[in-house]
Amino acid sequence: MAAESAIKMKGTHLQRVAALKETRPYSPCRAACPVNTDVQAYVGLIAQGRYNEAFEVIRSVNPVASVCSLICHHPCERACRRCSIDEPLAVRPLKRFALEQASEYRRDRRALVEKTRDRSIGIIGSGPAGLTAANDLADLGYKVTVYDRHPALGGMLVSAIPAYRLPREALKEDIDDVIAKGVEVKTNCEIGRDISMKELSEKHDAILIAVGLSLSRSLNIPGVEGPGVMLAIPFLEDVAFDRKPDLGKKVLVIGGGNVAMDVARSARRLGVKNVEMVCLEGPDEMPAWKWEVEEATEEDIKIHHRWGPKSVVREGAKVKGLEVVKVLSVFDSERRFSPTFDQNQTTVIGADTIIITIGQMANVSFLKDTQVRIDDRGRVVWDPKTQMTGAKGVFVSGEVVTGPGAAIQAAASGHRSALAIHLYLQGESIEGKLPTYEKEKISDMPADVASKIGREPRMKLRHLPPKVRCESFVQFESGYDEKTALTEAGRCRGCGGGAVVDAKKCMACLTCQRVCPYGAPVVSAWSEIRPEFCQACGLCAPECPGQAISMVSYDVREIRDTMASIVGAVEPKRPDPVIVAFLCMRHMGTSGFSLPDNVRKVPVHCTSRIDIIDILKAFECGADGVAVVRCSTETCKYKGIEDRVSARVDRAKQLIGMLGMEAGRLEIMNSDSGAENPYSGVCAGFSGKIKQMGLRTNK
Amino acid sequence: MIVGSQKSIDEIWDMIKGFKKVLVFGCNTCVAICHAGGEKEAETIATLLRMRAAQEGKDIAVDFSSVMRHCEPEYFEPVMEDLKKYDLILSTACGVGVNFLSDRTGTIPVYPGVNTSFYGAVESPGNFVELCAGCGNCILHLTGGICPIARCSKTLMNGPCGGTNKGKCEISKDVDCAWYLIVERMKKLGTLEKLAEIQPARNWSTSRDGGPRRVSLEHIRAYEEKEAANTDSAGGKK
Repeated sequence: MAAESAIKMKGTHLQRVAALKETRPYSPCRAACPVNTDVQAYVGLIAQGRYNEAFEVIRSVNPVASVCSLICHHPCERACRRCSIDEPLAVRPLKRFALEQASEYRRDRRALVEKTRDRSIGIIGSGPAGLTAANDLADLGYKVTVYDRHPALGGMLVSAIPAYRLPREALKEDIDDVIAKGVEVKTNCEIGRDISMKELSEKHDAILIAVGLSLSRSLNIPGVEGPGVMLAIPFLEDVAFDRKPDLGKKVLVIGGGNVAMDVARSARRLGVKNVEMVCLEGPDEMPAWKWEVEEATEEDIKIHHRWGPKSVVREGAKVKGLEVVKVLSVFDSERRFSPTFDQNQTTVIGADTIIITIGQMANVSFLKDTQVRIDDRGRVVWDPKTQMTGAKGVFVSGEVVTGPGAAIQAAASGHRSALAIHLYLQGESIEGKLPTYEKEKISDMPADVASKIGREPRMKLRHLPPKVRCESFVQFESGYDEKTALTEAGRCRGCGGGAVVDAKKCMACLTCQRVCPYGAPVVSAWSEIRPEFCQACGLCAPECPGQAISMVSYDVREIRDTMASIVGAVEPKRPDPVIVAFLCMRHMGTSGFSLPDNVRKVPVHCTSRIDIIDILKAFECGADGVAVVRCSTETCKYKGIEDRVSARVDRAKQLIGMLGMEAGRLEIMNSDSGAENPYSGVCAGFSGKIKQMGLRTNK
Repeated sequence: MIVGSQKSIDEIWDMIKGFKKVLVFGCNTCVAICHAGGEKEAETIATLLRMRAAQEGKDIAVDFSSVMRHCEPEYFEPVMEDLKKYDLILSTACGVGVNFLSDRTGTIPVYPGVNTSFYGAVESPGNFVELCAGCGNCILHLTGGICPIARCSKTLMNGPCGGTNKGKCEISKDVDCAWYLIVERMKKLGTLEKLAEIQPARNWSTSRDGGPRRVSLEHIRAYEEKEAANTDSAGGKK
């Protein structure tokens, strides 16, 4: 699908858009993303079938894109302005779709980055923070070596995230992108055991500590020592590296967070039928994501709410269960974690194995006897403004200093550290130069705008049935197929991708204010189009008499500038007329592009963006007929555009009439949304009419 | 604003067909607002002319561009060199712009792409009406804000003629009788008795009858001329 020509634009249009967007408030989805991924841009590209470009947009800021496409907690979705209409856009599944579609392109584009700088950096840890920093520093031309104690790269992503959520092949795609740049890898290499910090600092000009939180916290309760009680991370590592732990018939997981969910659901997949969880919190207080709880419940995992662990009950050495005490409250009046218990109310939950999942901490024992300072609570002392520790040239990144968070938050921290290291090695100051990822964003959807937008249900993801998915660690979520993905991408309202006025060309004529269905433009000395109102339909740009309006999300001149190549050579003795068909992509799905060769397709996100000049240009380039095929009023993503577009077509008919051309060579028609291919019938009918009318000839 | 309307493609074609390299040059103020000659229309005309050239088998290159206004020299300065690449400029500005530009393009002719119509207002989108004739001696305070010079078909100064018919002008049922409007408005304003006052005979020399007109603001001119006198030919201060 036009991918090749689209990629060629990378250096022009996509970059121009990116630069323009920096000058404007971000869409809320983008502002919510810890690395400010331009969601609107890549969703828009998906909607146009431009998957490789969508990948480029995603990958440009996120080196752990595949990981995020599967396990991200997607703050973008919570921020989505569609929430005030119906449901948020399914951003994460769309990201997954784009990455799957672009997988071949992605592999082909991997290339060694020339090492243009004679400095070397050692990165300890290959989780999202370490990988991101390695990626950025390799891009800058540094020699980068990544050290990891595990046999495989990925840090917690490989050792603690179960494969049913994050298949290793997906993680490998992210890792391979980074390795391909020429990053050296030392696995099975633990700092302090296989190589000392001292040796590392002699070998490298800078060091990044990105070791994450690899130690599980335990409980100080009677009976906790001994067989049958496990900690979360060692358990998940056993699972990850196929060292099957013996769990007995019943597993009890202590904790109510996301790691507890991973532990419990992994235990189910190891063949334990009876897995229960116990946590301090009530159902609405649990720190685990709601969907994780729902999915665990589907998998017959029972959760005991509002019980606190008191002692491990043993019969001899063997664990029999956990004595728990009733929780009265979890938080104090200021929402601080401060549980209170009713010591008179206790019970015992039976179990063969107890897995403690109550939090993690960093293993920084390898920093003992180095200049990196550790505080009395075992945390690395660092300066968040420079990402540097107390030791010169030793930087830090990710959960080891930020505390538990999501992969994409660690990646953001990795970006900051990479830049900090670069500045440090350049001898420049660091403070104030690191990205904060905090940007002004477009405000909420005004109620009168929301009321003009039709409801469209969010496309559901398919999951394997609970019984089937508990039998193995096979990924349980199926991605979107193309049709579903394109439908879902079409739900995006294009926040931040809308109209922008060039004040130097605007004569404040009020045209945009008059045509906008959403009341976005306000005209005073010149027109300002308010981004919180603009729906990026593109209706205004072709109406502007000064051609002062451009659209952030697409190039308003793209169609006319590329029309000659779209139409191609027009043979004098052609058997069929050359038809240029402007196609609303609303129902295009995957079949819309399958039209006869004589129909040259110009897909548009809405016919509202078609300019009279685009139509004339098609005729200028030799079209015998031009069809504008739109979806119906009922299905149109925008409101109140139909008559304007019809009026434009009528004007274009007048204009071609001035050149003696038949008005019938131009027609506006509705797509047949009921048909499998909504365009083939209408295009064939129109093509037949033009054939009867005859081919155009010039002297 | 100045209202104009586009010339037909046939008429423009006849003007340009003998040239090889033509620029359709838009003006992005008045004529853009009335959708006659802004950049959008300039590009539309350029496209139609190229199509026409192809139909006729003529080898004519037609480009387009625009500036904000054709009636002030500063707006041309950045594009003057570009304009010299063409052997004809088809200006879609009003007649003012065509005149003003052609004074500055030396041997390159500037032809009009727009018929300049009148001074008017945008009554509603796409509807432009003539409301002033630029006579140079405004009497709107005497006529309830309705100009008999621009809006009476005969430019009568002393009331309606015999052709007034239920508020309409005899030339067309779609044209209001300006004097009917004046009387009705002045009734509403409570100033009808003003019409009974005797006015001196009108001096038409401020209008077209006095020959080409110029407005010269002494306070600005005095400064500009002094500056010019103090500046040498290379632009430096003397």
